Amino acid sequence: MMADLHLLTVLVFFPLAGCLLMLPAWKCPAAARSLALGVMSGELLLALWLYASWQGLAALKPALPGYLLVEDAPWISAFGIRYTLGLDGLSLLMVMLTAFSFCIALAVSWRAVGEKVGLFLALLLAMETGIMGVFLALDLALFYLFWEVMLIPMFFLIGIWGHGRRIYSTVKFFLFTMFGSLLMLLAIIALHLLHARQSGVTTFGLFELIATPLPAGTQLWLFAAFFLAFAIKFPLFPLHTWLPDAHTDAPTAGSVILAGLLLKTGSYGLIRFGYPLFPQAAQTLTPLIYTLAIAGIIYASLVAFAQEDMKRLIAYSSIGHMGYVAIGIAAWEPVALSGSIIQMANHGVTTGALFAMVGMLDERAHTREIGAFGGLWGKIPLWSFFFLIFSMASVGLPGLNNFVGEFLVLAGTFTKAPLAAGLAFVGIVLTLVYMVRLVQEVVFQVERRPLPLADLDRREICVLAVLALLVVWMGVHPAPLLELIHGPVRLLTGGVP
Amino acid sequence: MKLYLAFILLLPLMGGIFNALLGRTLPRRVGEVVACGVIWSAFACAVLAFAGFNGPVRVEFGSWLAAFEFQAPIALYLDQLSLSLTLMITFVCGLIHLYSVGYMQDDPAHARYFALLNIFVFAMLVLVLAENLPLLYLGWEGVGFCSYALIGFWYTEEQNATAGRKAFITTRIGDTAFGIAIVWMYQLSGSVSITHLNTMGTLIPAAVVTTLGLLLLAGASGKSAQLPLSVWLPDAMAGPTPVSAQIHAATMVTAGVYLLARMFPLIGGSGTVRAAIALTGGITAFYAATCACCQRDLKRILAYSTISQIGYMVLGVGAGALTGAAFHLLTHAFFKALLFLGAGCAITALHHRQDIFRMGGLRAKLPAVYWPFLAGALCLAGFPLTGGFFSKDAILAGVAAQGGPLYGGLLLLGLITAFLTSFYTFRMVFVVFHGEQKNPLPPGGGGLGRGGSDNSAANILHPPPHPLPSREGEHLELPKIMTLALVPLALLGLCGGMLNLPSYLGHQGILDGFLGSIPGFGGGEKASQGGEIVLQIVAAILSLTGLGLAWFRYTGSRRAEALAREEAGLPGAGFLLNGWRLDNLYGALIINPFKYVARFFWKQGDEAGIDGALDGLARFIARLGGLPAGWCTGRVATSLFGLAGGVCVVLAYLVWVTLP
Repeated sequence: MMADLHLLTVLVFFPLAGCLLMLPAWKCPAAARSLALGVMSGELLLALWLYASWQGLAALKPALPGYLLVEDAPWISAFGIRYTLGLDGLSLLMVMLTAFSFCIALAVSWRAVGEKVGLFLALLLAMETGIMGVFLALDLALFYLFWEVMLIPMFFLIGIWGHGRRIYSTVKFFLFTMFGSLLMLLAIIALHLLHARQSGVTTFGLFELIATPLPAGTQLWLFAAFFLAFAIKFPLFPLHTWLPDAHTDAPTAGSVILAGLLLKTGSYGLIRFGYPLFPQAAQTLTPLIYTLAIAGIIYASLVAFAQEDMKRLIAYSSIGHMGYVAIGIAAWEPVALSGSIIQMANHGVTTGALFAMVGMLDERAHTREIGAFGGLWGKIPLWSFFFLIFSMASVGLPGLNNFVGEFLVLAGTFTKAPLAAGLAFVGIVLTLVYMVRLVQEVVFQVERRPLPLADLDRREICVLAVLALLVVWMGVHPAPLLELIHGPVRLLTGGVP
Repeated sequence: MKLYLAFILLLPLMGGIFNALLGRTLPRRVGEVVACGVIWSAFACAVLAFAGFNGPVRVEFGSWLAAFEFQAPIALYLDQLSLSLTLMITFVCGLIHLYSVGYMQDDPAHARYFALLNIFVFAMLVLVLAENLPLLYLGWEGVGFCSYALIGFWYTEEQNATAGRKAFITTRIGDTAFGIAIVWMYQLSGSVSITHLNTMGTLIPAAVVTTLGLLLLAGASGKSAQLPLSVWLPDAMAGPTPVSAQIHAATMVTAGVYLLARMFPLIGGSGTVRAAIALTGGITAFYAATCACCQRDLKRILAYSTISQIGYMVLGVGAGALTGAAFHLLTHAFFKALLFLGAGCAITALHHRQDIFRMGGLRAKLPAVYWPFLAGALCLAGFPLTGGFFSKDAILAGVAAQGGPLYGGLLLLGLITAFLTSFYTFRMVFVVFHGEQKNPLPPGGGGLGRGGSDNSAANILHPPPHPLPSREGEHLELPKIMTLALVPLALLGLCGGMLNLPSYLGHQGILDGFLGSIPGFGGGEKASQGGEIVLQIVAAILSLTGLGLAWFRYTGSRRAEALAREEAGLPGAGFLLNGWRLDNLYGALIINPFKYVARFFWKQGDEAGIDGALDGLARFIARLGGLPAGWCTGRVATSLFGLAGGVCVVLAYLVWVTLP
């Protein structure tokens, strides 16, 4: 019954429809905001409804094993490109994160964005379509299409509403990601041709291509191209330098989406496409991934410590946190992979919240320089209270969300690569060092510059309270989410459905 | 039992959340009543659990971390050890909470204070009751966070905030080792349940057990402030005094000892680990005792004494005298809480002045503080027949029973430390409470001047940001609740020996019988009764000698001279005053290189290295693009020249491909 509703198509294209509806409301910011709010909360409700009914859907046993909903239709028959969307537990978690992050992004830019509101919201909605598509597409050509679609609105978002060196940053961001994705496109086409030559079937379908037998050398090159595209998005050391610039100069909503979702498309791509398509090549490159991830954790944590701009510091912390995700994927072991996937969601919530909070501070003080603040606990206690919670979540305090992901990653990885896990533990101390430095200099001590600061208003309290509750809930009771991804993880790591 | 356990944990947590969310908006009295009420209710539940206790129970409340084989549910384990610690923690923390009502009566941030204090108790209770290691780790990190927030409670002073940060980071270095040990144990056995792991000792290769034990020791060293991670504790005095009492006596620092005792059935199988634990404890006990002899800040003396006493407990664990270590842990909790709370009274009465050289003669002015404080000092010094005497002796007897040169040396070190302990304890008592006050306070109750010859003397005074309103007279009047809270602790400290009287008196000690059935506790060599009596006599003589020496030096006619000389700085005192200059060592070896490398990576790595290379590449491509742009001059001649050139190239190509 639910399969006939084309829910996945709705999920992907409803925001795009909202984007078109934005045209009449172009000149009226209030109407545009209400429209965007309606569309985004509709998406969130749909995602939550799917989550509420996932066990029922799993019992229906749709066409693909392990999937909850699948939609499949021919699209460009000449090349065998099909319109295949599929939802499993992993996709559902990412879909929920996407719908949620866009609501947060909208809420934090409610007042902060005052110019060209219609265009801003239209771009946000277009990006939501792109990201939803990335998390649902099961046809490589379709995946690549969405992959590029989500990139372009972000380019304009940073370029138009950004701060500082925004043009430099957005071009840098665009060039980095384009470079990776073009190589991935080549690899996709090569894979398609190889498959066609061997079997005579022209297809871009993920599951058909997984079955393609490939010589080891070819596999390595193709995986390397995929990996490069994903590693840039991750970002892994030393391909990370676009991230601090993009984050620092992006508007708050852009930072929330970047941290919450765009980085996740890299790790998601590696889990969904990279490892399953090229298992042997992935095995061969695993030591490299460990090395890059651990180097990234330690390097980024050290660099974060030296930062003077709050947003830059949190951007570097993202690199460190995503390093744990990379380690868990590299281990390719059920516990570690579950940890990585949970960590993707956790990082989206925690870092998104931190970026939102720095954005709120920036709106008030018009600076993000750490040295300008101090003693905020006495001045804006509510802001400080929430900031402390999210900082502690970020350092992986048990009972809050990040601990769950990090600990599972480390526990699982230790069974495969004790040295890598042991080194990654060092990163936990380094994370604490730069985070408590930030908290101390901003929240504690005495005020260093007399800044006109007002505490949070009701809208901001609502946003942060929801995020804080999520942080606690995912830290105390992650079992439902772990159960949601249990099936997909088992399938991915070679178990039977 | 399940209900009691749930209440023991949930009440402090709920109290903390209540105060954190609503405390600011409600009257102060409500917050205080809730904060104290939840702890005492938890104590009541613990007593009920004790009354209904008949053997260890495991209780599961729900799932927490559950992914494939990795299962860490929210499960608690109540056995004799966790039960006795739960009783002690809720009782001592209850008294500390009551005391805090008086201590914090003028501080506007009471809601934050009580919220953190309650959550601190919650985290510590999770730590001792957890059935699996990740849950224990939750409590472990929880106390770390609460200590961070409470040590830096008066956050407007940079040194307070820095002290909190130092505690958090230093202990987390140890936590990392503990974390690695947890995942390693999971890898070895596929389980993280403590009871399950403790049965695995024989199945794991000896070398691995040794490594695991050393990792756990490193974790314990962080929380329990043992060498080389002891540096955070003296600075942790920056927090409010009841917080110091809670960190030092009932919670936090005992966590490491608890962990080692809890995992002893697994790690105790390795002789190397036992020796390493004993060495760490023995050397730390001695180290801190030497430092305590030269301190001039009342709270820092107590801080070093804590490090030293915890060293004894760790030494006891290393010697396999687990019951002795647990015994000392309990008596220490009573008398150290007492000493801190007493010191807090004295400091409050003197307008937050902590320099003992500015004190004196308080015996007459604060008799309600003096007598309980003296009781605590007697216990700390191991004065014969006090609780501290019996518990310290139980540890030393365990060390003696081990025999061999290593343990023989450690026994000697322990006895020297006992002498030093007695000396510095009574130095503190006589300087603070006897004689005459050296400099009367200036009128107005300021008294915030700094003194001393060494840089660390800057730590001597920690004025809270909102100084208590000065009243007439030389010292402040203390709220009744503060002095009353001392009495039960004094009684417990003095009579704590009753918990486990030595067996030569004819009966098995209560704790020996109660804890004996826990795996690991029954073991350990037992000293012969004669040997134990001799040891106790030696310890008593050492304790009395230390007392006598302090009496000789710091009372009567020699007092003035001794104080003057110490204030001017004895040779070598700076080294001891600064804790063997460990802070300077770490600063030079770790902290400064860390800062340098961080900046180097940022400026040279990211900005100059990676970005510089990529920006250079971008500029090169832009210039490459600029080359043909130079030909677009718009002049007809240039265009014609280009056209002719192009035609020539095409013709040449055609000729080349058509030639045979």
